[in-house]
Amino acid sequence: MSEIKTDKLTGVGTAGVIVVTGEGNSTTTNLQQGLAKAWFTFNYATTVQDSFNIGSVTDEATGHCFGNFSSNMNNNDFAHPAMTGAYRTRFENPGPDATTSRTNTIETYNSSGSSADDNIVNCTVHGDLA
Amino acid sequence: MALGKIKADTLEHSTAGLVDTKFVVDGSAKAWTNFVGTGTAAINRSSNSSGLTDNGTGDYTVSFTTNLVDANFSFAMAANQTSTGTGMVTGDSGHQTTLTAGSIRWGFTGSSSNTITDVTTGSVMVHGDLA
Repeated sequence: MSEIKTDKLTGVGTAGVIVVTGEGNSTTTNLQQGLAKAWFTFNYATTVQDSFNIGSVTDEATGHCFGNFSSNMNNNDFAHPAMTGAYRTRFENPGPDATTSRTNTIETYNSSGSSADDNIVNCTVHGDLA
Repeated sequence: MALGKIKADTLEHSTAGLVDTKFVVDGSAKAWTNFVGTGTAAINRSSNSSGLTDNGTGDYTVSFTTNLVDANFSFAMAANQTSTGTGMVTGDSGHQTTLTAGSIRWGFTGSSSNTITDVTTGSVMVHGDLA
């Protein structure tokens, strides 16, 4: 077993490009592009349960929240599916309202179709850091 | 300049802890895509996505640049829609998600109905094994 102790990995040819050999041993994937840039799990009753690169989660209104990044994204064209424990989940209408510093507003609804706070709101962000 | 290759089983940060590199290889997203789903559907930004096909209303296919090893990968999606009463739900009747090693096809339906619907912007991400 080998171990590398370091605080920073940087590409040689291009600083932001390090490739990793894939599981099938025949292809490579871009390490930076594959890493989640932020994620959080949020409970309206008790706030952020755990997170990465999330400074806070804003509780906008009943059943409406969004994550604020600690380190901003380079643009708002990031992929960030979200799941909740509610009957239905969607992003805010009208949308999108994601910026370099925040996710879209995630809306949760109960079985009656009314906005409702939930105890499980998960979101993961993949994209380009600033 | 020639690039080097590091083989290691563990990466350790001075304060943030250590991670087995299998989590770097297996845990990294193998593809993600942010796209416009209305009008002429098009990719805004992506990784390992070679193209987006608009198969019809609310019905999209993303093809991978580098294939996955098989169709047994994990995926997640989300979308925005500017019209009231629509949102992110996948896989209505007749539009079940289709996975292959080289692509993923799915449909978005309205959040208040089962009608397949174009979305203003959409996101999809894939975790699994590369070929």
